[in-house]
Amino acid sequence: MSQTLLDLRPVYVVGIGLHRYQRPSETTYVELGLTAARAALGDAGIPWSAVETAYTGTALIGMAASRPMLRHLGATGIPMAQVENASASGSTAFRMACLEVASGTADVALALGVDKPGPVAMAPGKTGVRDLVGGRVVPFTHFALLANDYMNRNGATAEQIAMVAVKNNRNGANNPYAQRQKAVTLEEVMAGPPISGALTRLQCCPVGEGAAAAIVASKDAIDRLAIDRGRAVRVAASVTRTERVYRGARNFDAELTGETVAQAYREAGISARDLDVVELHDAFTIEELLYLEAMGLCGPGEGARMIESGAADIGGECAVSASGGLLAMGHPIGPTGVGQIVEITRQLRGEAGVRQHRGARVGLAHMVGVGAVCVVHVLRND
Amino acid sequence: MDEIVPADPALYRLKSGAPPSLLGVRCRGCGGVFFPPQHYGCESCGAPAETLETVEMAGRGTLHSFATVHLHQGKGIEAPFTVGVIVLDDGPAVRAILTGSSEGEFAAGDTMVATTEVQGRDDQGRETVELRFRKADEREAGGRR
Repeated sequence: MSQTLLDLRPVYVVGIGLHRYQRPSETTYVELGLTAARAALGDAGIPWSAVETAYTGTALIGMAASRPMLRHLGATGIPMAQVENASASGSTAFRMACLEVASGTADVALALGVDKPGPVAMAPGKTGVRDLVGGRVVPFTHFALLANDYMNRNGATAEQIAMVAVKNNRNGANNPYAQRQKAVTLEEVMAGPPISGALTRLQCCPVGEGAAAAIVASKDAIDRLAIDRGRAVRVAASVTRTERVYRGARNFDAELTGETVAQAYREAGISARDLDVVELHDAFTIEELLYLEAMGLCGPGEGARMIESGAADIGGECAVSASGGLLAMGHPIGPTGVGQIVEITRQLRGEAGVRQHRGARVGLAHMVGVGAVCVVHVLRND
Repeated sequence: MDEIVPADPALYRLKSGAPPSLLGVRCRGCGGVFFPPQHYGCESCGAPAETLETVEMAGRGTLHSFATVHLHQGKGIEAPFTVGVIVLDDGPAVRAILTGSSEGEFAAGDTMVATTEVQGRDDQGRETVELRFRKADEREAGGRR
């Protein structure tokens, strides 16, 4: 019978680091990645020589990104591999690192997300299966259609959907690693250039460059390397699923998220009520509402009201996208999922400064990606 | 008169005196009906390609959702245009380009019918048309909205 993460030996996040998410620049991916990796090593208080395996979440840079970057920490000869899983590449790299430590094949593992925008070949476009819209439905239109459906079904307004951008930009304004660090008003969001359907520019995440790193370790390694046990955060569940067949016009993004999160709750032994902080795939405002509902943080159709009430604010019932989320912190693809682990770890350690959600003990990270795939992690600090 | 042909004959068929029909696949194993058509295997039950048969579906359905795209960077595609999700009377939901001047003329629940739009000419000089959906007129809606 298959086992879950909690059946295996415990895995802890012991080090986190970021390179700021930013507009594409002359900075090489090597510089981006090394900045985040060194920060994570410094945070854990361990040397690179203690790291036994490394996974690089990246989708845009190209083949063989890991060693040309990580050799500058010292070519120790450890196993390295790239992980590509669309927007969930970083989340999947983190999962691989966790599974190695949990299974005992490594005591200390690095998950690094790094990317720079560039031309990318999309395999779903090469299947030979054509449709009626050709290249006309890009992600923002996919989600504009869902926004229209959400308004039709729930009587929600375009302003209510746009409120998500106000909240997440407010959080991002207090995050020195965020690509967008400026609070915006609802009027500013609504007045922005229209992109697709109800979505305006500030309701679509910026895709720039950056890097994020998380080091996970076993209890043995924590003792052996004298890592501060008080700052180690347990990984309580690692779950990933892919889209099934949903009849008619049912929303596969929400269905897939609901299934994946339900499994993560079961495996971690928690319910939605236990969550203090959530980082979710808010690439577009409408997604946050759909996933709040799919995660059971509010009832069906109540997402817009939950945002309006302040329940998803830092200091509310559950801080959602406290980092600024993809909408404000940004979505450089490879780093994004690892960056969520960085934010949740900070929150659960009580080290998030002005963004701190008081008393945060349980957090959930959620990414979806083209395919469709969904990856969810539950972290806890008891 | 010029001969008119579908720009993508694998996806739809032109009919005289009726809206174009859509070509999907039906799985003889599980009965699932899918669009767009593919001949690799059934997504629902895993039956192999031989089990999939082409099925012709009426170009008629109900508008589920829509969005007018204001910004598009794809080659040869000019914004604005409106995309809709239509649940066909024959089952599957399809995404298609809607004809019409503005987003304001559509509402979820509208009856939609397939129509064509001239795309260009093929190498034999025949006029090629792409499939679109438009709002049904009162007569076509037949009591539906």
